[in-house]
Amino acid sequence: MSNFFQLVKNEWMKLLHQKSTWIMTVILAVLVIGAGILFKVDAAFTNGDVPSGDNWKQELQEQNEQLMADPTAEVEYPNYGNMEENQYRIDNDLAPTAYNGWDFVRDNLGLSALVGLFAIIAGAGIVANEFRWGTIKLLLIRPITRLKILLSKYVTVLTYALAMMVFLYVFSLITGAALFGLEGFSETYVYQQNGDYQNTGIFTFSLLKYGLSFIELTIMTTFAFMIAAIFRNTSLAIGLSIFLMMAGSSIIFFLIEKEWAKFILFANTNLNQFFEGSPIIPDLTLGFSITVLAVYYIVFLLLSWVFFTKRDVAGS
Amino acid sequence: MSEAVMQLKNVKKTIGRKEIIKGLDFDIHAGEVFGFLGPNGAGKTTTIRMMVGLIEMTEGDVVIKGHSISREFKQAVRHVGAIVENPEMYPFLSGWKNLVHYARMMPGITEERIHEVVRLVGLENRIKEKAGKYSLGMRQRLGIAQALLHNPSVLILDEPTNGLDPSGIREIRAYIRKLAEEEGVAVIVSSHILSEMEMMCDRIGVIKNGELISIQMVHEAQQSEDVEVVFTASPVDQSAAALKELTGKDVEAGEETLTVQMTKEAIPDVVSGLVQKGIRIYGVNIHRSTLEDKFLDLIGEGAIE
Repeated sequence: MSNFFQLVKNEWMKLLHQKSTWIMTVILAVLVIGAGILFKVDAAFTNGDVPSGDNWKQELQEQNEQLMADPTAEVEYPNYGNMEENQYRIDNDLAPTAYNGWDFVRDNLGLSALVGLFAIIAGAGIVANEFRWGTIKLLLIRPITRLKILLSKYVTVLTYALAMMVFLYVFSLITGAALFGLEGFSETYVYQQNGDYQNTGIFTFSLLKYGLSFIELTIMTTFAFMIAAIFRNTSLAIGLSIFLMMAGSSIIFFLIEKEWAKFILFANTNLNQFFEGSPIIPDLTLGFSITVLAVYYIVFLLLSWVFFTKRDVAGS
Repeated sequence: MSEAVMQLKNVKKTIGRKEIIKGLDFDIHAGEVFGFLGPNGAGKTTTIRMMVGLIEMTEGDVVIKGHSISREFKQAVRHVGAIVENPEMYPFLSGWKNLVHYARMMPGITEERIHEVVRLVGLENRIKEKAGKYSLGMRQRLGIAQALLHNPSVLILDEPTNGLDPSGIREIRAYIRKLAEEEGVAVIVSSHILSEMEMMCDRIGVIKNGELISIQMVHEAQQSEDVEVVFTASPVDQSAAALKELTGKDVEAGEETLTVQMTKEAIPDVVSGLVQKGIRIYGVNIHRSTLEDKFLDLIGEGAIE
């Protein structure tokens, strides 16, 4: 086991000595700060005014009445234009909160796609680059099985992706708190799931959403890792994975009428759809999606293993 | 003869329908430098890749210190240090970190050992620099260093003098001889530079189209064997007759030189015989049949099928 730890240490050493690793981290940090400044400067992004003070219930009630009379009426708080949500807030005594660090963290969940991109680049490179550099020949003539070497690389890529995701979360929270303020960790978040309004603690809910995005990212990274292990080509692995990541949702929309559409990987990768909003295909359930993902995941890993350990390392 | 450290037993490799390696059978012993010689495409690198388990054999086996490379990979490969083709290193890591990387992959390699290996290959002053800035010669040294980290019993070097300057070549050659003679390491060297092989190897295996066509001892005693001796003497006609009389062999006369096949032992007597007959001798040269001639004889024309 100590032996395995040494291998992971080697992989991390190689990862950290490549400029691209640092460039990606800097890009992510710059985008978070950039988004923060943009949101701060242009109030349109941060949803304008919020009914606050002791009479917020009365204000929301009035706004609901206005909307009842004329759904297109210009109201004082355009972001509270949903009558059901307003009613839910009034009934449950959940006062609206102004845009703050937590909202910034939620908004930056979109940047997890970028973390996914970086993880794909790392996942494809960690195997295929050894072939490109020719170093694979020196790596595989040590008294260590190929499976163990492959696993050490996989563990490194996953820990790297996790580190980037944690970095995105923490850095967004710090930047958000600095620019928009933060009132503790116990804020209540109101959201819609399958048409019903619910509320929960924002801290745990944001962690859940980032965690679910990490699962999606893991699947795509594992896919890139598999392509790299099979074809031993960095560009192919990165290109194919990014193409599928981008085109995935379009593929689903194109095939949504088909009976078997729900078995397609991309119908299931977004697990956030079961917690906020509604699933892309109505009869999908969380359990079903997790099962489908698990099957794909195991197949990806098995194929990586078979091709990496069985194939000859022939001339470059 | 000493212990066979590596044995190739009827090693065959078929890719598609083409048989690339057609049954190699030979042993390599502790303390010898074995040269692996052949034209490009003869199957040298493929064989080396099979020796270290990078390529699977279609048939046969390679046994290293009693362990089969295909069935007991870990036990077999731990006795092997190798450079396969070019000495490729991680360009973004320093020479030192490249060595640390490989040291971590094998148990029991201390930092002291890494220092020792660096000194052996003479890279002390540049070891902290990135390997990407190294010249080919320095990469070759670093490659040898990584192959030696774990004190292997078999050292496999693919074209080890490639890219080295003449003094570097001499150093590496001396070092390879030292490893074999003093440490008892079996060294396998592949090369296409024949004179180079002749200077450092004990035995040379010649491979052609995937077959081992000959194994030659390099430093054979040649006392009783006929060598080609070239005399420069005048007058030529008189000399030719005298030579024929003294050696009893056919003499090939040129404009100023005379060539005769004779043993090395007989040269002094022949020279004094010629002197007694009043022939003026300007030079006597042994034209030794070099490995290159043997090699070309063996390989012939159109070496690659």
